Amino acid sequence: MSQATTSIPAVERAARPDGVFARLAAWLAQERVFRWIPFILVEVTFLLVIVIPFILTIYISLLRWRANRPFEQAYLSGFHNYESVLSDAGFWASLGRTFYFAGFAVVFELLIGFMLAMLVHQVTRGRRIYITIFLIPMMVVPVVAGYNFSMIYLDSGPLNQLLAPFVEMFGIDPRIRWLSNPLAAQWAIIIADVWQWTSLTFLIFLSGFSALPPQLINAARVMGASRRQIFFWVELPLLRPAIIIAVVIRTMEALKLFDPVVLLTFGGPGTSTQTIAFYLWEQVWQFNKYSFGAAASVLLLFIFSFLIFTGIWLLTRQQKQFEREHIR
Amino acid sequence: MSVSADQAPQAVGRTPGRRRDRMPILRHAVLIGWALIVLFPIFWMLQTSFKDAGEWVTWPPHWLPHDPTLKNYAQIFALDVSGRGVAREATEQPFNIWGSLADSVIICTISSLIALFMGTFLAYAISRFGVGGKHFRHAVLLVRMIPPIVVAIPLLMYYAIMIPFATEAVLGTRVILFDTRTGVSMLYMALTLPFVIWMMLSFINEVPYSLEHAARIMGAGRMYTLWKIVLPLVASGMVVTFLFIFILNWAEFLLSLTLTHPKVSTLPVLLNKFQSASEGRLYGPQAAIGTVITIPVVVLGIVIQKHLVKGFSFGMVRR
Repeated sequence: MSQATTSIPAVERAARPDGVFARLAAWLAQERVFRWIPFILVEVTFLLVIVIPFILTIYISLLRWRANRPFEQAYLSGFHNYESVLSDAGFWASLGRTFYFAGFAVVFELLIGFMLAMLVHQVTRGRRIYITIFLIPMMVVPVVAGYNFSMIYLDSGPLNQLLAPFVEMFGIDPRIRWLSNPLAAQWAIIIADVWQWTSLTFLIFLSGFSALPPQLINAARVMGASRRQIFFWVELPLLRPAIIIAVVIRTMEALKLFDPVVLLTFGGPGTSTQTIAFYLWEQVWQFNKYSFGAAASVLLLFIFSFLIFTGIWLLTRQQKQFEREHIR
Repeated sequence: MSVSADQAPQAVGRTPGRRRDRMPILRHAVLIGWALIVLFPIFWMLQTSFKDAGEWVTWPPHWLPHDPTLKNYAQIFALDVSGRGVAREATEQPFNIWGSLADSVIICTISSLIALFMGTFLAYAISRFGVGGKHFRHAVLLVRMIPPIVVAIPLLMYYAIMIPFATEAVLGTRVILFDTRTGVSMLYMALTLPFVIWMMLSFINEVPYSLEHAARIMGAGRMYTLWKIVLPLVASGMVVTFLFIFILNWAEFLLSLTLTHPKVSTLPVLLNKFQSASEGRLYGPQAAIGTVITIPVVVLGIVIQKHLVKGFSFGMVRR
């Protein structure tokens, strides 16, 4: 990392700067300046695009202001907005629903992704084709995935057609409106999410499986371990980093769930599929409750920051452990 | 490298065991089953995009269009502007995608390029000088993990209120970033920087320092060394990174939905506009737009597929 600190003063002094620009260039090329240029560029970007807006939001969240009145008429109202967010049933319900969706979706994605990666790892013929096909959903734009599933769940769509023989046995009209039933709509969204993001967990687990050292597994086999023993005592512990990475990345992403909700159900029926992102979007962009939204987003960041820091801590620890093992 | 490691599976295939003979068929059955699940929604979109208005919603649904037509594509590309005989429903929306296509391509290309160069430069500084301390690259992930809605609300107010007010006070003219390509590009740039830094760091760490050292001793300037020695060696990595963040930006929906309204709209937003227009959804044109959005990205994705493994493995996989 820092082995590069050997500066070369002779070269820098040899180039005599004459013009202003040349002198500026020479000043910038000094190591103590040069090393900070990209850092400052990036930090300024983050400052301009993320930090300053956030400070502004904290200010606005303390105001009493609705969009139908001019901004100049807004006045400070203390923590009024925070109180109304915290006492808002919709906020907590949609937050809970987000965790419910994310929980189920992530569990299924991990299980299916792990199983597929294991199978693909064991298969020799057609391996490459399987990998190519299984990674496609990840590249499909989420909005398009949402649209595709809305076509499939249509009351006269292919899903109902496939189910028709079973359903008709009970004398029910096979053209079921899946997205009009709260529970079915919730699971429709979970299934769409699983369809799309199992490809990512598959990718992570696959790279974990291909990084397994064959010597260890062969050694275990030679010593008479059964397949099950090898799996549970050799492979699974070695795959732990992959599992942690998959859990962290997918959990963080699943909590952002928004696109399929808009495309599939638009939060309905009722409020049964509103995730927190959808709820806030509706509050701010449909109902113009700006200062409410500002307070809610500050609170949300607080609530999520615990998760975010846990996630980053887990990733960092994994990375460090990995580097320690590979220092040899 | 990684996925194409062929040595391990053979070892498994050779395991002694009589019952194992049936296993390969079972395995392939499961895998083919999932492949069908994966491909089906895409197939359904493709075939819907070739259906005419009467066939979009029929019971039982047609698995292949009975009389395939290119009408939907003609409509979205505005090839036939007359629009007669088309189920326009009650929508007044412009049908063609050229505007959104231009917005999407310009926003994604510019923001990805700037993020790529800034991020690569920073990755170089981190790798060579240890800039920002040990935890900087983990701290940078923070930006990526914040839910976008939490960023969207502040940015709406920032773009719509603070920047116009501030520029009017300081410069005398109102600069409005809301509903502009610049505004969206800036945001995309900031949000993809963490990925660039992570991915480029893994590529730059593999370039031996001795090369640069030699160049420096022979009198090359710092920028010259970076430009002529380091960048050519990580060029392929930069291409992969660029494509990856391009795909991310291309797919982004929430932020462009919230920060642009009448004028600028990226392709995902356009697709959504067809949806919420009225009760009568335009399934066919939607499917055509979906196909147009998806195909280039999937092709790009397949091209960089091998490298994605490395980008996503967070240092698990090494060469």
